[in-house]
Amino acid sequence: MTQPLLTIRNVRKNFGSVKAIDGIDLDIHENEFFALLGASGSGKTTLLRMLAGFELPDDGEVILDGKDVSQVPPNHRPVNLMFQSYALFPNMSVARNIAYGLEMEKLPKAEIRSRVDEILEVIQLSHLANRKPDQLSGGQRQRVALARALVKRPRLLLLDEPLGALDKKLRGEMQLELKRIQNEFGITFIIVTHDQEEALVMADRVAILKDGRLLQSGTPQEIYEHPESRFAADFIGVMNFFPVTQESGHLRAQDGSTITANTPLESAARGVAAVRPERLHIGGNDRDNSISGTVSAIAYHGLDLQVHLKTPASPDPVLIRLTADVAERAPIGVGDSLTVHWAAKDTRVFAV
Amino acid sequence: MHWRIAPQIQARRMIDRKPLYLMTPALAWLTAFMVAPCLMILALAFFQRGIYGGIDYTFTLENIALVFDPLYANIFLKSAFIAGLSATIAVVIGYAAAFAITAAPAKRQAMLLFFAVLPFWSNYLVRTYAWIVMLNREGLIAGAAQWLGYDGELPKMLYTETAVVIGLVYNYLPFVILACYAPLSRLNPEIAEASRDLGGNGWTTFRRVILPMTVPGIATGFVFVFVLSIGNFVTPALLGGGQFQMIGNLVYAQFLTANDWPFGAALSMFLIAIMMGLLTLQTYASERASGARREE
Repeated sequence: MTQPLLTIRNVRKNFGSVKAIDGIDLDIHENEFFALLGASGSGKTTLLRMLAGFELPDDGEVILDGKDVSQVPPNHRPVNLMFQSYALFPNMSVARNIAYGLEMEKLPKAEIRSRVDEILEVIQLSHLANRKPDQLSGGQRQRVALARALVKRPRLLLLDEPLGALDKKLRGEMQLELKRIQNEFGITFIIVTHDQEEALVMADRVAILKDGRLLQSGTPQEIYEHPESRFAADFIGVMNFFPVTQESGHLRAQDGSTITANTPLESAARGVAAVRPERLHIGGNDRDNSISGTVSAIAYHGLDLQVHLKTPASPDPVLIRLTADVAERAPIGVGDSLTVHWAAKDTRVFAV
Repeated sequence: MHWRIAPQIQARRMIDRKPLYLMTPALAWLTAFMVAPCLMILALAFFQRGIYGGIDYTFTLENIALVFDPLYANIFLKSAFIAGLSATIAVVIGYAAAFAITAAPAKRQAMLLFFAVLPFWSNYLVRTYAWIVMLNREGLIAGAAQWLGYDGELPKMLYTETAVVIGLVYNYLPFVILACYAPLSRLNPEIAEASRDLGGNGWTTFRRVILPMTVPGIATGFVFVFVLSIGNFVTPALLGGGQFQMIGNLVYAQFLTANDWPFGAALSMFLIAIMMGLLTLQTYASERASGARREE
């Protein structure tokens, strides 16, 4: 294993009595697209600002390229941050905004010009080089902010909720665009987001933060398929939860049916069993892992149907995802009785 | 808080939407008690002075011509210099104070602003007399110097140009603090951080990002101090001690001692023209600055 580009070791940060970061360890590698995912107050933005140098850790180390940079001020770090508000300089044109960081490096004028031109090409805004930021659309501003940080060719590019201000369609396009640019430049990206879909689509690896702690990190697939906590299971993707009790090695749901899982519930009498909607299949009376109920709602999503099932096994409606062709073969209506089942390998259990 | 500027822009925009008649009482008041008397006084500039004071209603341009007499033109220049110097000093001090206030925790800012503006609520004369107490030969400053062990001759402080500038700066500083505080407090902190992030040190960030973005506040503060200072006659009279005259004193003398109302009116006309010119320029500039920001 090569040395990680960035090592965060036992980092802590308090604001008054609030533990914003409560002991986080993380390794991030060269060329990775890494996502810090969490709700507001999880500490993800504080952690990002710490990597940029705007917050100093009370304890622990931030090691970049083998050097401890914990106390290095922002203007002396080979790290750039794309701010959530974009923070473009309103008094400067697009080109001047992008050139600013290179001028700070005191590069020759000719080199600055060619690098600005080059990056304007990449973000396809060459024709707007002389516009002021307030004459740009939100999407254009976002790209200028990206270019301004990227043009410095940092070791690490930090992005604070980069797509938050964009509308849904543009967000989808920019997700792919960001990934393309990251690939092209070969720069390590760390993105902060509260949007799990964004994290899943873009990131090579994701870290889930909660209350200033790291809950789980891994590839999107690892976290989706093997969440280590109920929170992670709930936060990433959609999950159905069934409260269960454990009796002599068997899990029993609230409606009395038996639930089986490949991993047992460890040392707890109560817990929840969790199953992804796409793992539920129609049919399967009188066997383990089957739940019956009444269809309470059906939502059409183009590629698939999402069916809500009211069942005594769960306080919340169970969500089932049926592909269009399955739904066509066996039409379902609201009010119908329905039984679904799933395989033991698709059950996750968590203690509560 | 752009003081007079922002309400003007707002008023102009409201005309598009709100019924005009709501403005009638204010307009009527201003016209009857402010605009009309002013115009009447200014009209006197084109008449001759009566032999025993009073007005001889014969048209003449002599009063206007007299304003350009080197004797009076120099007083204009001198006044402009004093006003410009006062405005510059007030802007430097006021901007620094406003900057420090915005750096304080949000909770404390209102209180700091309150204290900065506090002297403004006391009487102008009292405040100016207070400076006499400070600056005269047996005053507080002289006393403090003595107490500290300095027994040499102190330079004359009261009744000098310096005293006038000190008085003007002191009196109009709250304007500048408020005018500079407004754009400084509106700055998105992430913009200054972006400059640091891109490799700028504190000074570069200030010079290239913060300062240009707060120029409208500086301009407002400067123009206000300049306009209020150039026509001021109380401070030069009290702190300048009649050693030198500013336009305000000259106008005052024409109306109240020389009894030459036509010449006083001619002087006032030029003074008002200078003020209006500057205020218009400044309104136009800040409107363009905020207009550009609105454009999309």
